[in-house]
Amino acid sequence: MGAQEKSPAANNSMQRVKVYRLNDDGKWDDQGTGHVTVDYIERSEELGLFVIDEEDNETLLLHRISSDDIYRKQEDTIISWRDPEYATELALSFQETTGCSYIWDNICNVQRTMQFNTVSNERFHNVNSELRELPPVELSTLPSVLKIVVESGIADQMRVSDLIAQDLEFIGKLMDLFRICEDLENIDGLHMVFKIVRGIILMNNPQIFDKIFGNEYMMDIIGCLEYDPDVPHVHHRNFLKEHVVFKEAIPIKDPEVLSKIHQTYRVGYLKDVILPRVLDEATVASLNGIIHQNNSSVVSSLKEDSTFIQELFARLKSSSTSAESKKNLVLFLHELCTLSKNLPMVQQLRLYRDLVNEGILEILADILQNEDKKLVLTGTDILILFLNQDPNLLRSYVTRQEGIPLFGLLVKGMLKDFGDDMHCQFLEILRNLLDSYTSGSQRESIVDIFYEKHLGELIDVITSSCPHNGTAQTVCKSGKSDGETGNGVKPEILLNICDLLCFCVLHHPYRIKCNFLLNNVIDKVLFLTHRREKYLVVAAVRFIRTLISRHDEHLVTHIVKNDLLKPIVDAFVSNGSRYNLLNSAILELFEYIRKENLKILLKYLVDSFWEQLVQFDNLPSIRSLKVKYEQGLESVGLRSNANVLDPRKRIDDRALEKEEEDYFNDDSDEEDSASASMPCSTRAQSQHNLPNGSASTYPSIRSGGLVDYDDDEDDEDYKPPSRKQSDNSCEDDEEVVESFRLKRRFASKEEPEPKKLQRLPNSSKPNEGVFAALCSTLSQAALPGKKTSSTAPDVPQPDPNKNPIEANHEEKAYMNSSDQGKTLDAENHAGKEEISPRCFTDGLHGSPDNGQQHADDNPLIPKASPEMAVNGS
Amino acid sequence: MSDLDRQIEQLKRCEPLKESEVKALCLKAMEILVEESNVQRVDTPVTICGDIHGQFYDMKELFRVGGDCPKTNYLFLGDFVDRGFYSVETFLLLLALKVRYPDRITLIRGNHESRQITQVYGFYDECLRKYGSVNVWRYCTDIFDYLSLSALIENKIFSVHGGLSPAITTLDEIRTIDRKQEVPHDGGMCDLLWSDPEDIVDGWGLSPRGAGFLFGGSVVTSFNHSNNIDYICRAHQLVMEGYKWMFNNQIVTVWSAPNYCYRCGNVAAILELDENLNKEFRVFEAAPQEARGAPAKKPPPDYFL
Repeated sequence: MGAQEKSPAANNSMQRVKVYRLNDDGKWDDQGTGHVTVDYIERSEELGLFVIDEEDNETLLLHRISSDDIYRKQEDTIISWRDPEYATELALSFQETTGCSYIWDNICNVQRTMQFNTVSNERFHNVNSELRELPPVELSTLPSVLKIVVESGIADQMRVSDLIAQDLEFIGKLMDLFRICEDLENIDGLHMVFKIVRGIILMNNPQIFDKIFGNEYMMDIIGCLEYDPDVPHVHHRNFLKEHVVFKEAIPIKDPEVLSKIHQTYRVGYLKDVILPRVLDEATVASLNGIIHQNNSSVVSSLKEDSTFIQELFARLKSSSTSAESKKNLVLFLHELCTLSKNLPMVQQLRLYRDLVNEGILEILADILQNEDKKLVLTGTDILILFLNQDPNLLRSYVTRQEGIPLFGLLVKGMLKDFGDDMHCQFLEILRNLLDSYTSGSQRESIVDIFYEKHLGELIDVITSSCPHNGTAQTVCKSGKSDGETGNGVKPEILLNICDLLCFCVLHHPYRIKCNFLLNNVIDKVLFLTHRREKYLVVAAVRFIRTLISRHDEHLVTHIVKNDLLKPIVDAFVSNGSRYNLLNSAILELFEYIRKENLKILLKYLVDSFWEQLVQFDNLPSIRSLKVKYEQGLESVGLRSNANVLDPRKRIDDRALEKEEEDYFNDDSDEEDSASASMPCSTRAQSQHNLPNGSASTYPSIRSGGLVDYDDDEDDEDYKPPSRKQSDNSCEDDEEVVESFRLKRRFASKEEPEPKKLQRLPNSSKPNEGVFAALCSTLSQAALPGKKTSSTAPDVPQPDPNKNPIEANHEEKAYMNSSDQGKTLDAENHAGKEEISPRCFTDGLHGSPDNGQQHADDNPLIPKASPEMAVNGS
Repeated sequence: MSDLDRQIEQLKRCEPLKESEVKALCLKAMEILVEESNVQRVDTPVTICGDIHGQFYDMKELFRVGGDCPKTNYLFLGDFVDRGFYSVETFLLLLALKVRYPDRITLIRGNHESRQITQVYGFYDECLRKYGSVNVWRYCTDIFDYLSLSALIENKIFSVHGGLSPAITTLDEIRTIDRKQEVPHDGGMCDLLWSDPEDIVDGWGLSPRGAGFLFGGSVVTSFNHSNNIDYICRAHQLVMEGYKWMFNNQIVTVWSAPNYCYRCGNVAAILELDENLNKEFRVFEAAPQEARGAPAKKPPPDYFL
């Protein structure tokens, strides 16, 4: 390189300079006048400043540009530096300020390249020269073509890419040359062609892309890219020609559309398979742009082609269409729906609505009954696309008479054994249909249908596939290793059911009460604890934990009354001292009961199971359960002692002790009779015998629990559970409540004093005297619905329709942090040149919530991500 | 050769499994992982590895340097997925090894083993691209919920992905976490996966990551003292030299993704502990270009549009 390539442009006034040198006396000596250029120093890859004398064309100055910061720019016309080779100060005084800043920028560029591109062969090339034309494309000139394409500096690269784009023959000739090289097996030539083509692609020029990705050259371009000298030869063309199949479900007649379809596939292949490691982000973005554009135009022209759509649906509906052809039609439909994401939103919506009007949902219902499981799953994938696009299309369909079967099929699909195939889509669709993020009558009727028609189905699967008592674990063991059971229900199906039920607990806090209590649903779900697969036992624990986290009085009472923690405790005990997920999950449940001070449950737990649990009292969680329980006891005792010097001698004290005993140890039957024998309260409530007479008390959450000595006044505040739900279990609950209230009233007669104490927390008056300490513990109990932990669901709110549930609260957090995530991530990209460890340390700019932002972009993810809600609880 | 062994061989060639194989593998893994503790006990000798982030060929380099599983007993500190090109193959290989040799490899959860994070940082998109649906992502993220949260080596070295939590002062307190959930936004479980040690912080500080905390030397001292631990071994932060001690050798960061994101220029390290807990760091660089096979992002071989 060097001098011979200098362009005539060098002789202009812009580059005219005087060269000065600082002499030993401290004076600047004029060395002469010439033109300055930045160029390669001969026989080296380094760049230098050349000043050629304007009179004799001799080199006035040759200075190797240093990466060190030695250059100074003064008064807009002078560049000076201390030259290590001349060992003195040198200066260039420019005739024009533009010339000065031009050379200054070049020096800075060269320095930057030296710092960043030490390895790569991207070097500045003759920055000064104005490239006028490309060298001829011949085998002998390949090296210089390569040099121009690959080694030109940033400034020149634009120029080179423009020239290539404008040159009508360059690409064609290059491809000719490629074919010749390949015929001759000229590996060196092929390697050079590879580098040239790679360099051309990296120029990221839309006009060039148009040309090289066109039908004429695309395959040859891909051929060139097979010859990467650093990677073993991969036969991409072979793969594209021999293995890739373009399927036509309905023949597409428009050649333009056809060629776009092929181009899209090949560009994607080039991007993802051939050059993923080579492409920079800008180029990837351009290629994605091409793909996006193509998809969009293909989908819109097909969409507008009414005969095409009609033929598609006619063949889908026709009974004479062969199975194979039908399968292809469905796969085609799937691709069409997937690609419609590339359309503008309005057009997407219109397409989906059109498809619904053409009867796609009926067709999908039909597909869901197909014997080909893969096809069924494709059908569900299409449904998910619909749900993500516009959930109301599917929602309104399934609530109509003709859509009811589809809903049923979805539930059946979730329960069906798909063998080796994954079929989690069904669960996702059902969740999406049932979630509470939308409101309105549609959703209401969907939820109605679900509880009316399908809840039973789900529960039946559980009951039929789990042994009904703890001793029958053997039933499951028989099927063993592949997790099969007597009925052949796969464990993952049971897991899905349990997940869906947890989801229901969170999203339908009111609906579940009646439905679950009415049908002993909770009982049945807990059959899962008898399964051999520990993850199913854990799922059952999670279910009960989700229920308890609702802080619902009815549910708690129901749990106590029906002894529903028994299977949990049994599972805990039989798990023994093993420290595994089951152990942790149950300990967490116990901790939750203790920390939330769910007194009813606490009392029930310790009263009923302490004998079993005591063997684990080496565990702090178990110990503190008992401690908390005893604190409850003491508080009662404390009160009884407050007014009495020697309580044991007093007769009525025995009554009190008896009362205490009853209070804590109400063990079923005798307790029942005891409460039955007590005077009825004025408020008439039907009395039923407790079916299994387990310990039960009125939920402490609102009343203050163990120390709540309600007097009549308090009773007025008390609102009995809604009679609306007066199924058997509900009435039982009320009966329990009533008997408990009687007890408390009985106690209160003995002890008027604690009343005041009890009210303290409610009225928030300062504590006084000896009870101060006690009160502080109690006050926690008296705050209904105190928010406990961020993951715990909120207390139910009055209207299930409007109930935002905690998921909404999470969503807000999402928004905030996703914004944060966006900006930070953008910084991350922008700052990619100067990667600081911090940038990548990871991650998590913002917070784990970033997902939401993405979820909005990606219709495949349910918008509000209901599983977060379930899993997060 | 069993199916599983065959699958391991296939994954070692960086060829992803079929959906049906992933499903079967995940179900088996679930049975194994559900039996592990939140603080999983690990015996020596053991080799501790930090973040991998889908850099499959670099992980193969790791195995080359550290020895094959099961011959070497491994502990991976999470962040198997995201960022790199091969999250699917990386995680599935580790999971297959876990199922095949449950006692010779321990996998604990990193902050990237999460539904939310993987939707942003690549694993989700990779699954969608490689399988055409997100089912594999769903199965894998379900498995993430079962992964243990930390490990304890010979009662002396506490290993966790991120760091400590103000909500956790003793190892016992980790026991009562129900880990089968998406990584929460706060609380002990979140902090274990998200926190970072920080020199300039005294006690606890807000984390710029938006989750977890920064914790200073005094926190580590008191945690190590009250739990009778020699030191804490964690990952989660890129360290250019592959490992980094802090606070007077009370905590060490191990990072096992060389040339992170294929451009950070860092080296990676693994920490080998022998029977007597003697430490040896093995530093390694990114796999050479030749060792990287053809990229495995094969698109589906047929298309309609």
